[in-house]
Amino acid sequence: MFECNKTRCVTIGGCHGGIPVPRRGKYMSGEAKEVAGGVSNPAPSQTESTQWFTNPAEGVITAFRYSSAYLAVIAMVQVLLVTAALSLETTLAPAVVGLVTFAVYVGDRIADADTDAATNPERTAFIKRYERVLQHAVSLSYGLAIALAVLGGPVALAITLLPGVFWILYASEWLPSVTSHFRRLKDVLLVNSFVVAFAWALTLTVLPLAFADAPFTPAAAVMFVYFFLGIFVNVEIPNVRDAAGDSEIGVETLPVVLGVHRTRHVLLGVDALTASVLVAAAVTGVLDAMFVGALLLGLAFSLTVTSLVGRTSKEELLTTAAESEYVVVALALVPFAL
Amino acid sequence: MAMYRPYMVPITPLTVVLFATIVIGVAATLTAWRARPEPGSLPLVAMLAGQSWWSTCLVLQVQAMTLQAKMLWVDVSWVGVVVIPVAWLAFALQYTGRDEYLQCRYLVLVSLVPVLTIVLALTGEYHDLFYRESRLLVQNGSLRIHRTVGPWFWVITGYTYLLGLFGGIPILSLLSSDARPFRGQSFALLLGTLAPWMSNVFFLLGFYDTSGLDPTPVAFSVSGVAYLAAVTRFRLFGASPSPTHRARRLVFTKMHDGAVVVDRHDTVVDMNEPATEVLGVSPSDALGSPATSVIPSYDAFPDEGALSTPLSIDSDRGVDRYDVSVVPIDDVHDRPLGRVISFHDVSDILRERQRLKVLNRVLRHNLRTEANLIAGYADLLADGDEAHESRLIKERTQRIIDVGDKGRMVVELFERDWSEVEPRDVATLLDSCVTDVAAEYPEARVVVGDAPTDASVSAVLKPVVLNLVENSVEHNSADAPWVEVSARVVEDTVEIRVVDNGDGIGDYERRVLSQGEESPLEHGSGLGLWLVTWGVDIADGSVTFENRQSCGSIATVRVPNVSVPAETHAR
Repeated sequence: MFECNKTRCVTIGGCHGGIPVPRRGKYMSGEAKEVAGGVSNPAPSQTESTQWFTNPAEGVITAFRYSSAYLAVIAMVQVLLVTAALSLETTLAPAVVGLVTFAVYVGDRIADADTDAATNPERTAFIKRYERVLQHAVSLSYGLAIALAVLGGPVALAITLLPGVFWILYASEWLPSVTSHFRRLKDVLLVNSFVVAFAWALTLTVLPLAFADAPFTPAAAVMFVYFFLGIFVNVEIPNVRDAAGDSEIGVETLPVVLGVHRTRHVLLGVDALTASVLVAAAVTGVLDAMFVGALLLGLAFSLTVTSLVGRTSKEELLTTAAESEYVVVALALVPFAL
Repeated sequence: MAMYRPYMVPITPLTVVLFATIVIGVAATLTAWRARPEPGSLPLVAMLAGQSWWSTCLVLQVQAMTLQAKMLWVDVSWVGVVVIPVAWLAFALQYTGRDEYLQCRYLVLVSLVPVLTIVLALTGEYHDLFYRESRLLVQNGSLRIHRTVGPWFWVITGYTYLLGLFGGIPILSLLSSDARPFRGQSFALLLGTLAPWMSNVFFLLGFYDTSGLDPTPVAFSVSGVAYLAAVTRFRLFGASPSPTHRARRLVFTKMHDGAVVVDRHDTVVDMNEPATEVLGVSPSDALGSPATSVIPSYDAFPDEGALSTPLSIDSDRGVDRYDVSVVPIDDVHDRPLGRVISFHDVSDILRERQRLKVLNRVLRHNLRTEANLIAGYADLLADGDEAHESRLIKERTQRIIDVGDKGRMVVELFERDWSEVEPRDVATLLDSCVTDVAAEYPEARVVVGDAPTDASVSAVLKPVVLNLVENSVEHNSADAPWVEVSARVVEDTVEIRVVDNGDGIGDYERRVLSQGEESPLEHGSGLGLWLVTWGVDIADGSVTFENRQSCGSIATVRVPNVSVPAETHAR
């Protein structure tokens, strides 16, 4: 669900939704680097950026896109999917996840504005122009998320705090600056993808349970695995795109170690594993067969996207497509809901 | 029975305010977090996080359905409660630049009681130091916990208030700061701190009935808003007073002059590093000793002001000389506390002055005597075949004498204390200069134009104007040379113009003067214009030179009109 770009913002949840985590570790100089023959584009000036808003509707769409508000909506869709899959009552969980996603992801965009300038100049210009407003929005939305989570009880609160805690462990420069014994998890090969996938899958699955005061059932476990594997794939997709750049600066990622071709196969294998888990859940009756069918439809979409990794130059479109997997699932479920 | 009722908290004014408190508290925490590493940001994060945690625990406690669960949330709320005063103190010290007290060992020391409090709170079932009795009550249809406090509760309460007081003192001092942002910041910070504390005081004193519920977290909503205002409106992390405290100390310790602080009993209580070198003592020997045993001729020092003559102190380099000044230190009621004695090394200045005196004597006496002798010998040749050469020798000798005279004037210019010389009426000064030059150069027409009769200038202008007029006549090859001197009052200055029909001043000469210094390769042709430049500088004025379109030059001098009251100048 979360958009990733060459100058490195992968998120907890990578392109699959979750807590965004800057990938500046690979370009820690703070300067935008050219990657794989890419050309650094300066961020458009404010005068240029104001040209986006020729009418109010266009302004709303631009803000929705560049502020990452759309990612918050996708995150809410994911929580609603869990709610439906586990037959939970409708709670405040989707709102909490949406607010947290918005807060953490916009915060990440602000922090990475300089390094993103080369590959995403329009978004960077938007972020820089409205930085002050966005910072207040980040603070208020996370504050609101925490306050709402408190109403869900201690477990809901703990899960809501998780993204912030993981962000500090994963990407913040603060802990390494305090103690030399601590190494950021994002700098550790493969650990970053697993941590991102785990934290995000846990948040998406457990928060609606906590709000509904429901137990962790086998169906919840299946949804956790489904999100975990899906997020892992979507974290690695931008790594495939960035393989050349990562290799240049000595960062080891799956595509750097295995190569783009083999990585694509591995990711397709993970998608296949996800499909197996879902089919097994449907066969054993852990999840409703109709629901699994919708998930498999989304997975098929994901497989198509994954198969195009490294084979297309339209990387932004590919990233957005990967983020849209859960929207496909939701749309597939709409006729049944009606 | 379920332990919690997720999102089943009854909507009451209390829960609404607590909800707002958490939103504002977390938002303020994140705002402060982003301000890192600004001084005070991390302690403020800790304090706001502590407040948010306390509020959160109160909501969870209200939600809890069993005595055990309610007790748990009361107990764990102490983690946030005890963080607040420690963080507040740390914030106050760091924000006001007193971070020397924020060393790890001090923080550990200050945190001992809070840590012990948490331990006692979490082990409450094994003792009754914190709470003696806990029971559930049903009030207005809601379950409430009622706990009878033990002795440690009052210990931590007193400790919390003590740290709050210590933290408030340095912040309080900023309320009277000259800087508006600091006044606003300190007001907002104190408001944000006092609101919950006053709320807690009223609760402890039983001023209002809260059914046993500590309402302090409710007041955190005020704190959050106040802290946010301090950050956003009063730029808490944009304009920080933290360097001020250290800067003042730094000025004392790192200043070039020696400085010694004595108390009202004339005991040395502080001194900076240069002072130890000036006086040749170590701080350990000097501090606490009578000033008379540390500072030579201490008894001769005035109570206030400067010592009339430089103080001589023997050193490895010989005898060093110091200007001594004494500044009294008074308390807010103007009662004397002590004095600061500063030692300004004037050894080099006095040596320079001595050299100038010797140079003055050489120029005034030796050079002129020798030149007169040469001119006398030249006279002996005047009647012979070398009459032409004799005339040339006398002309050149006169030039040497003139240069010597100029040099002597320059020496005098720097030697005299012009501030003590009576100012001169402008019209009289111009007349005097013109008369002198006209007498010396009768072939030139030297006149005074308009001149104000009610304006005065520094006496140093006499040699300045004299040289300008002389220069105008000397460097004038016109058939009928003339010079006109005039003056006028322009606001609080006097503008003196010297206009001539002479040869003008070359660009090269003007460039050297504007640079303010010469080099062996780039220098002026004499001393006259330098004397003018330096003299105007002493008079706190300015001078400009320009050539007239036809021929000649215009020199314009602007100096303060000293007949105007001083406050007008300041304006």
